[in-house]
Amino acid sequence: MARIIGGIGTSHVPTIAMAFDKGKQDDPDWKPLFRGYEPVAKWLAEKKPDVLFFCFNDHATTFFFDHYPTFALGVSGEYRIADEGLGTRNIPPLRGHVGLSRHIARSLVDDEFDLTIFQDLPLDHGLHSPLTMMWPKAPDWPGAVIPLVVNVIQQPLPTPRRCFRLGKSIRKAVESYPGDLKVAMVGTGGLSHQMIGERAGFNDENWDREFLGLIERDRERLAAMTIEDFMRRGGNEGAEVIMWLIMRGALDAQAKKLHQNYYLPMTTAMAVALFE
Amino acid sequence: MSYVFDLERSARGLRLNRFLHGLTSAGKRKLFLENPDEALKDLSPQEKDMVRRLDWKAMQDYGASFFCLEKLARTKGVSNPEMVAHFRGETLEQFLKTRRVPGAR
Repeated sequence: MARIIGGIGTSHVPTIAMAFDKGKQDDPDWKPLFRGYEPVAKWLAEKKPDVLFFCFNDHATTFFFDHYPTFALGVSGEYRIADEGLGTRNIPPLRGHVGLSRHIARSLVDDEFDLTIFQDLPLDHGLHSPLTMMWPKAPDWPGAVIPLVVNVIQQPLPTPRRCFRLGKSIRKAVESYPGDLKVAMVGTGGLSHQMIGERAGFNDENWDREFLGLIERDRERLAAMTIEDFMRRGGNEGAEVIMWLIMRGALDAQAKKLHQNYYLPMTTAMAVALFE
Repeated sequence: MSYVFDLERSARGLRLNRFLHGLTSAGKRKLFLENPDEALKDLSPQEKDMVRRLDWKAMQDYGASFFCLEKLARTKGVSNPEMVAHFRGETLEQFLKTRRVPGAR
């Protein structure tokens, strides 16, 4: 039986990938961010999950508004790196897990989550900006990823409660897979930021700290909030933290936070947290 | 909440967003940089003007998705802090003064 061994919540800011690719690990402006990911990379190296299940969003890169899915699950054996306007990052293509992802697709649809299914599409920084902070890219990735793309950029968005329930359903799906696999959940996005309008540049560290506490201890309270609540507290784009609720919904109610890092250098609060 | 990208904005901005999204293709970036008239030919005069002037706020108000604007910004070598400063009606220098780590960009 496959099992979920833990979860990670992480920002997916594109500048994280740019800092990584430019080798800014020891740059004083970036060091607090890189240090904050070290315990997560160490945990992954020790626990050796076979699969990282990534809940993230595409940024109008691979998917466009002529047909924009609410939840889309990738079922390929490999995913190319997407070109977002600067060419592609110099990292290997991502390996998928065909057997588990197909099983999850069937199981989720049986459980009344009517997903979009995709294959052979490139993936953007929503997934691989945090990935390179946690998993070595050389000589090749240590395992596979399963991408779940969530619409958090064109309203109406799925409700926080729907995301939470989807997490629970993903857990059932993983645990009903006959293969002996270790899976870690990754929920990406946030924390507080707003990129548009007069309130562009908005952050709220108090809300971010409260969110980081609630996601561990009181996920029901987060699930009961509305998208508008999340936008008001964390900025329009900050509402994407509902993707952390998918990750958290797939873990035990009693899961403990082993590590947390928070860094707010520029426009987006960059956080990472590890749960087991 | 006035800048929520909803179905009304998405419909209004569809043609412009389609052009911006197209800049994820290296061939379309090359065409835009070398022959903008040809690259912009499907856009309305107002849309062409906003793109040529890189008027981020006008494009946003018109219905451009921020994530599509990012494609144009990358193509033209403009950073996100520069765009955010423009939305706020500030210069980049003014905006960076409001940040904790101005060098982290």
